[in-house]
Amino acid sequence: MPAMAIEARGLCKAFGDEAALDGLDLAVPEGSVYGLIGRNGAGKTTAIKLLLGLLHADEGNALVLGLDMWSATPLERSRVAAVLQDWQAYDWMSGNELCVHSAAFYPRWDDRYAFRLVDGFELTTAMERPVGRLSGGQRRRLAVVLALAARPDVLILDEPAANLDPIARRGLLDALVDVLAAEPSPTVLYSTHLISDLERLADHVGIMHAGSMLAAGPLDALSASVRRVQLVFDHVPQPDLSLPGALIMEVTGLVATAVVLGVSDAGLKALADRMGARLDVFPLGLEDVFVELVASAERRAAPKAQGRLVGARDERRPEGFR
Amino acid sequence: MARKLPPLLLDPSGGVPIYRQIMDQVRAYTATGVLKPGDQLPSIRDLAKTLRVNPTTIVHAYSELEHGGILERQQGRGVFVAATAEQVSVAEARADLRRMAERLAMDAVQLGVPLATVQRWMAEALSTVPDRERRQGENANDHGGHNSSRALEEVEHAGDGN
Repeated sequence: MPAMAIEARGLCKAFGDEAALDGLDLAVPEGSVYGLIGRNGAGKTTAIKLLLGLLHADEGNALVLGLDMWSATPLERSRVAAVLQDWQAYDWMSGNELCVHSAAFYPRWDDRYAFRLVDGFELTTAMERPVGRLSGGQRRRLAVVLALAARPDVLILDEPAANLDPIARRGLLDALVDVLAAEPSPTVLYSTHLISDLERLADHVGIMHAGSMLAAGPLDALSASVRRVQLVFDHVPQPDLSLPGALIMEVTGLVATAVVLGVSDAGLKALADRMGARLDVFPLGLEDVFVELVASAERRAAPKAQGRLVGARDERRPEGFR
Repeated sequence: MARKLPPLLLDPSGGVPIYRQIMDQVRAYTATGVLKPGDQLPSIRDLAKTLRVNPTTIVHAYSELEHGGILERQQGRGVFVAATAEQVSVAEARADLRRMAERLAMDAVQLGVPLATVQRWMAEALSTVPDRERRQGENANDHGGHNSSRALEEVEHAGDGN
């Protein structure tokens, strides 16, 4: 079992009587790129702030590189760098001044690398201006420069691509691939709504929902665990037709369609043979897997109120079969 | 000696793992002879940058292809198309074709289309393939090796659409 660069157990955090985290477990293997996805309000940002020691947990513990960042020394903290969403501080400083400032805090600060990133992110002229006068996208890119040039062991990115136009997003993706191709490369924890970027970068994924981890694991395994299946019958199937592992199922005439979780190809095949149906299995991309798992969790949380049962039509379902 | 890999097209959201997409396309290029034994592939770092994917994904794809006899790593020199690549990839493409035939048979039964009709359609489809390509296909032995590149390309594309 590989060592964990980040490990959190049973994290709880409430703001007033609003629970932001409700027993979150998170394990990020050393050297991996871990994508954290979840709906707005799922608790991603709170989790990241707890990891960084910017907030104190009500319950549970969070270790980064085996250290509790809340009580870590500045030198220990310098091994971790982050890009946060609500980066407000130092609005009067210019980008260049911020680099000098950061260099003082991060012993491994790499000035030449910072310069290269500034160039790649088209920030050269912006570096002279006070940070408060930069656009949202420029500030975001500057924050990425500061985090990467610190040459951290753990890099934590909270929605780094927010506010970036498609060209700038590619620039960010290029910079991250570059970091990952370097030896040694940092462990990366990356929250985003841009799931297609994540599919390019992440090797591990955690899906957060309502303050805890709904599903987590290697990207390929997680994607492969959820599939869309279609069964075509010779005769109209029994009205009480059910499939093991079905998150949702719909029967229309001779055709049953379902999204199933955690059933092997062989298991599906055996089932279809037993029912005398023809089987088609369609892989799902991470975005569809995310939508199906979260929608299913939401149905479970409020089955009566929304009148949804397995087998009922779900309007939030993405488009039909491809 | 070609160092440049022909373009690889990735669909990160298609549900097929990216390393698998890379493997399939490198295989298709070796099966059709676009990549030949001895051709050098880009380094892991370069290909990761070109495709904008995590370098570990390239490592994964390259090692699986190496394991499957398509690629070989030469210590200190890089990654090359293996001598066995054509034979292996053609055999795999033929196995895919065989699976498509099984699928076709199943669909025909489901739709109640008689065998004779399916055979006639197949013969008609084959007659539209240019003469030269067809002769090459007929000369191919059962273990592959001299197959029509055009037919193999079609196999790969049809496979993608499933």
